[in-house]
Amino acid sequence: MSIVKLKATDGTEFEFDSANQAGSGGMKDVYFSKDKKQVVGWYRKKPDYNSMERLRNIVGVYRERIFQQEGGAYWEPLFCWPTHIIEDQGHIGIVMPTYKSHFFFQYGSKNDDFLSIKGKEKEGKWFASANHQQKHLDPRERGNWLSYFTTCIKIARSVGRLHMAGLAHSDLSYKNVLVDPAGGNACIIDIDTLVVPGRYPPDVVGTPDFIAPEVMATLKLPVGDPKKHLPRIETDRHALAVLVYMYLLYRHPLRGRKIHDADPQKDEELGMGEKALFIEHPTDSSNRSDPTSVKPGFLPFADTAKIPYTVCGPYLKEVFDKAFITGLHSPDQRPTVQDMETALVKTVDLAQPCANPNCDQKWFVFDNSTKPRCPFCGTAFVGPLPVLNLYSSRGGGKFLPDNHRLMVYSNQYLYPWHVSRLVFPSARLTEAQRKPVGYFVFHGGKWLLVNQTLPGLKDVGTGEAILPGSRVELKNDQKLLLSPEEGGRLVHIQMANV
Amino acid sequence: MRRLPVYLLIDTSGSMKGEPLESVKVGLQAMLSGLRQDPHALESLHLSIITFDRDVKVVLPLSSLETLQLPPIVCPDSGPTNLGAALEVLCQRVDTEVLKSQGENKGDWKPILFVMTDGSPSDIMLYKETVPQVKKRGFASIIACAAGPKAKKDELLPLADHVVTLDTMDSGSFLSFFRWVSSSVAAGNVSMGASTEIHLPPPPPEVNLVF
Repeated sequence: MSIVKLKATDGTEFEFDSANQAGSGGMKDVYFSKDKKQVVGWYRKKPDYNSMERLRNIVGVYRERIFQQEGGAYWEPLFCWPTHIIEDQGHIGIVMPTYKSHFFFQYGSKNDDFLSIKGKEKEGKWFASANHQQKHLDPRERGNWLSYFTTCIKIARSVGRLHMAGLAHSDLSYKNVLVDPAGGNACIIDIDTLVVPGRYPPDVVGTPDFIAPEVMATLKLPVGDPKKHLPRIETDRHALAVLVYMYLLYRHPLRGRKIHDADPQKDEELGMGEKALFIEHPTDSSNRSDPTSVKPGFLPFADTAKIPYTVCGPYLKEVFDKAFITGLHSPDQRPTVQDMETALVKTVDLAQPCANPNCDQKWFVFDNSTKPRCPFCGTAFVGPLPVLNLYSSRGGGKFLPDNHRLMVYSNQYLYPWHVSRLVFPSARLTEAQRKPVGYFVFHGGKWLLVNQTLPGLKDVGTGEAILPGSRVELKNDQKLLLSPEEGGRLVHIQMANV
Repeated sequence: MRRLPVYLLIDTSGSMKGEPLESVKVGLQAMLSGLRQDPHALESLHLSIITFDRDVKVVLPLSSLETLQLPPIVCPDSGPTNLGAALEVLCQRVDTEVLKSQGENKGDWKPILFVMTDGSPSDIMLYKETVPQVKKRGFASIIACAAGPKAKKDELLPLADHVVTLDTMDSGSFLSFFRWVSSSVAAGNVSMGASTEIHLPPPPPEVNLVF
């Protein structure tokens, strides 16, 4: 140990262990603090005037705007946000919280960790590749398909928080977003490259796989050329859509079979830039993925005919269509990060557990069919499957459809955001709004809704009130009023698979 | 999926016998384990090792990082450094092993070449003739490592885009060299600067870069 005492620019004292290096990135060398709760990242190259100014704002006003407001504590696990600047003998460093332990592999790879990755950072690429998922990772590290939705919701929510503050991350990638799919956790790191539109220009154009087409297409233009596109909020939207697509489908949305140039580097620039084309484009199939050209470990995910993106459900299909078809080359038409978050959250309500205990994904999204089966392992759903279509009151006894469905499974909960259109499951939920108000259970061959705390639950057909503590059997074409209040929901029940 | 072919040409002439060659092997092993911990490299990187002394041996044909086993590498007691002959073999291997885009099949990334020698080419005529042939193979980058005091870096300049020198031939400097090789081949997956040029990562302090 070699402890160095240092004072941050605001006077806070820190003790760092200059013999205990936590890692090194492209721009910084990182050391642990004495108590290992923090790290200091020393810049190899002294940041210029603009970068220093930006750093001061990041540890200062931008941080306060996000964390020191009501509900600010919610964001702390979602960002690894620099807290202090340190200057020592001409070197500039930033102090950041240490990554949480769940972002390091606990089991690592298969066969007693044959790749020796135990204890290493869970870099996103491990999880975004079908071959790594199926051939390399220990199953305990992989999580299930539903946990990837949770992970993606956290990523979308965090990026959305930055955008709401007028900031762009500018370099979203597997490396700059820590993920823990087994626990459904995510954390945005490398905040020091934040872009403030119109104020601090970006230092980086992004990471291959995630660079937006317009940025890629103008990569060769010199900095300062007005035609050159640089990272901004719209390019974050592209990068986020790619991340989500890859975490759910283990393949890249733009890497298909189409060859644009015999030179691989030029081909890459065109295929990711000017000529970028969605591999699942509905009318132009020229860039479909080629399942015959990949190793078996990439299948079935490399085969878009077997696992089309529609397995992610109707809400995400719409968002992916906007991101990779209409908005791919029209940045202003890309889905916002809130669109993505909403689609992910609503899709969680369509999830069904797979009946096959050996299914790798363990969950699938209901495909609106009368005979649902898991698209990943092909196992058919057994027994009646209630589908709750949500309608909400718009005054005067009128209920309009919300384009939102809730699939029922045993021990599925009913939450306040199902009960009222005015509640949305976001970071701003109150403690009370996070508690379930009822649950579903399959008992004695019947599907039951057990009311825990809903005061106004009523069967509209029979007029019967279902009081807290009692239950109601779910039947086809039944209508249940969850709440008589403004924005309150009515559910219409359909029985699938009967 | 595109493969990234990486060719390593390693000098096994007599002067490498003993500690230098052992250090190279330790460095290679460490590089392989390190690269296998990188999910990007593990997915795309393919490696071939060619040794050269009096004879040229393809000790490892181009193989995926996922499956390859490090072959035994030996060197004779004495003998010349036939780098020219090695480059000839390299050209043949690249022609047959590296896939070009054809019809509907995506080819490989441009290959990367690392040459490590502790002396200078004994077959200097052939070496000079072959350098232009190597250049025609379209390597993304060619990096030569002149190891130890007897290595002649000037001879390597016509071949390589970058020449690095190792002052000593102990395991420490080889390890840092191979670590640098790893970060160079993995560089395609990190953030790209706002300016266009793609740079090699800075070499470790033990390695001196010559241009």
